[in-house]
Amino acid sequence: MLEQIRQWIERRRKGLTGKMAPENTPNPKSPGDQLLSECRLIVLDLETTGLHPNKDEVIAVGAVAINGGAIDLSDQFDLVLRRPELDITKTVLIHGIGTEALTQGHETEDALLFLLEWMNGDPVLAYHSAFDQKFLEKTLKAELGYTQNHTWMDVADILPAFFPDALTDGKGLDNWADHFGLEVSARHHAASDALATAELTLIAMNKAHKNGLKTLRELHDKLRYQRRLKNIHRM
Amino acid sequence: MAAANQDTTRPQNTRSIMGFLQAHAPFSNMDDDHLAHFAEHATLRFYADGDVVLCAEDGIVHRFYVVKQGRIRGERHNEKAEKTETTFEISQGECFPLAAIIGERPTRTLHRAVGDTFCLSIEQNTFVTLISESEPFRDFCLRGVSSLLDQVNQRIQTGAMASIGSSISLSTPLERYAHRNPIVCSPDLPVRKAVARMHENNVGSIVITDDSRHPTGIFTLRDLRTMIAEETCTLDSPVRQIMTKGPCCLTAQADAFDAAMLMAEHHFAHICVVDEDEQLIGMVSERDLFSLQRVDLVNLARTIGTATHLRTLVSLRTDVSRLVDAMMAHGADSGQVVKIITTLNDVTVRRVLELNIKKNDPGIPFTWLTFGSEGRQEQTLLTDQDNGILFQTPEGMTEDQVREKLLPFARVVNDELAECGFTLCKGNIMASNPKLCLSDREWDDWFIRFIDASTPQNLVYSSIFLDMRAVFGPKEHLDELLDRVSTRVRKNALFQKMLASNAFRRKPALTMFRNFRFVSEGKKHGLDLKRQGLAPFVEAVRVFALANGVKSANTLERMDDLVQKNVFDAKDAAAWKDAYSLIQAIRMRSHQEILERGEELTNYIDPDDLNPLDRRILRESFRQAQRLQQKLEVTYQL
Repeated sequence: MLEQIRQWIERRRKGLTGKMAPENTPNPKSPGDQLLSECRLIVLDLETTGLHPNKDEVIAVGAVAINGGAIDLSDQFDLVLRRPELDITKTVLIHGIGTEALTQGHETEDALLFLLEWMNGDPVLAYHSAFDQKFLEKTLKAELGYTQNHTWMDVADILPAFFPDALTDGKGLDNWADHFGLEVSARHHAASDALATAELTLIAMNKAHKNGLKTLRELHDKLRYQRRLKNIHRM
Repeated sequence: MAAANQDTTRPQNTRSIMGFLQAHAPFSNMDDDHLAHFAEHATLRFYADGDVVLCAEDGIVHRFYVVKQGRIRGERHNEKAEKTETTFEISQGECFPLAAIIGERPTRTLHRAVGDTFCLSIEQNTFVTLISESEPFRDFCLRGVSSLLDQVNQRIQTGAMASIGSSISLSTPLERYAHRNPIVCSPDLPVRKAVARMHENNVGSIVITDDSRHPTGIFTLRDLRTMIAEETCTLDSPVRQIMTKGPCCLTAQADAFDAAMLMAEHHFAHICVVDEDEQLIGMVSERDLFSLQRVDLVNLARTIGTATHLRTLVSLRTDVSRLVDAMMAHGADSGQVVKIITTLNDVTVRRVLELNIKKNDPGIPFTWLTFGSEGRQEQTLLTDQDNGILFQTPEGMTEDQVREKLLPFARVVNDELAECGFTLCKGNIMASNPKLCLSDREWDDWFIRFIDASTPQNLVYSSIFLDMRAVFGPKEHLDELLDRVSTRVRKNALFQKMLASNAFRRKPALTMFRNFRFVSEGKKHGLDLKRQGLAPFVEAVRVFALANGVKSANTLERMDDLVQKNVFDAKDAAAWKDAYSLIQAIRMRSHQEILERGEELTNYIDPDDLNPLDRRILRESFRQAQRLQQKLEVTYQL
């Protein structure tokens, strides 16, 4: 994959291909009648300098694609953005990305363009997706002036929707990973967390299939219904 | 980025999958580039408990799978029994379906997930790339079980090696050890000059050669000591008068194990290494072979063979156990080690007999027979006595009169052997039993009854009496007896079939469910490696051996002979020999561990105590036993 990125960036630098502009990136797809067992889904995780979208920045993007019901490891995204000016002393202990790795990262603009192209407008899943969505949208807007709305779904909602009786010790990614006995290779590494999230997604999709839930729209609707239920309970 | 180490140039998830693979065979032996190729081309799928992963209806297999988490159970429908049987169960790090993807055919087994299961898989073209580029992967896929067996053997050796700290392997060709240009002299040289030459060269032996450099004798410092002490000849006599004639010779291609066995058998400390024309090219001493060992085979065999008191023999038994440890460390495989144990046991038995003849000679020549595992030369440290006597009735005596003299003698021998650690046989299969102290005519009658009137009790005895060997006394009468037995068995198809169905009942310790079948009595998780592991091989091989006139009693040698006679396919036999040796190796290692803890020896092991690789190997070995039994089933239409 890195080879692909390098070639793509080189091509861009040399201007051999038409310059990829934000407006030329693939259009976001809405959740329609695509079959869950066939469509492509992006599972993404960001590492950031902190928890506040208005003042903190994205430093790493890890993502894997679910294709036809399987995680395809030839189709993944694992990049540290080039952000030498950022102060990462606050979070460096959690995710382990030091200044050196950051200065070696890819030019932010290039990396984000490549991410958009790679995402191909497919629906994006993340654990506590609101967090990743805010950060990514903010970064895309600031760096590229990109404002299109992608379909986002929260794996933290999907899991309890299909496993309402699961006795997890909490609502975090770790709790669900423990519940299903997953081994997460390097927790708080964007790509590794993305893979764990994708594995949980596969488990949920297997259950969804058995419950007769077939399309992306049905999944999307079920999540919306679930969220509304939760809100009612809250009121 | 190019300057950074390779690891950071690969995505985290690729690295983590490589790390996972590296913990399992055969991936643990593969290059990083090949592992990366696997990881980058893999897909990860999830299967809930009970989901079908792969089945015959999917058609030709196009993917190769590795279990990342959970388990996969293989199911086949048994048409006869109208039910589904579990043929295997594989867990984390194991691969499937090897035979089908290599054979480019649909799988015959339904693969079902047990518990929440994730599998990594690669497409056929990636699989083919890896097979063609990675040797360990190719080896694993094409050789399947046997390559795993090699790995375990290697590991047993390195484990033992670490404790001994030697890099010598017994299967190393002799030329590696042999001293080139050994010190030689002509037969006419006076002893004084020969000793001077040994002294100048600082060696303990000199080879006496003829004009064309053929070794004709050997003279050692020990011979010199005896010569002076016993005044057998003078220092001025030619060396030919005092040399040991006809020294043991081996070719340079023979290995250290051959040399060690030859030394142990004949109590020699030196062996001449010769070329094809039998010309001397080198010399190997026991010190070359065992320089790093505290206890050595040759010395031990000699000490046992010359012990003057039963006490000494008893105390030497602990050395035998230490030797077994050292032997395994030197790379002896289990087949070699059981032969060594048998050799030392033979020496002990012979010495006990010799000492008793000296004390109280019954006055009648006899042949001491051993049966069962000792007859097969497959003894381990846990052994009981299975022996008998064959005699020629002297003129003017009845057989009962002979027995009157031999039985009390045999009784003493049996008891003394028991003191040496050979447990008394519970079934009274011992020479002191009047029914097993027989003349050749009586043995003949005995076998006629045994073969022609095959009662169930007889079949139980078949594992004992059909594996017979002479340990002491003249051999020729036994050879004649065995020839007659062999002819009778070959002519009697009914007896063969009964033997076969008896052997077929000895099931290997594999259930159709949850891997291992445990013995019901005694320990909860006990697996009897002898009865449930080795016996299925021994019994099945015996049937084929007897039916095809194979003379050897040793199971591994019988299999070799059966390949020679085109009864066994060479590849099958190789896999069966591996599997058999491996169970034997695990059994012996367990014996050594039990001895270290000072507990009573048993053949039981708890598979949970084994590491995952050994457990898997054991399971594969048992599966090989099932295959061998299938051959029995087909051959004898059981």
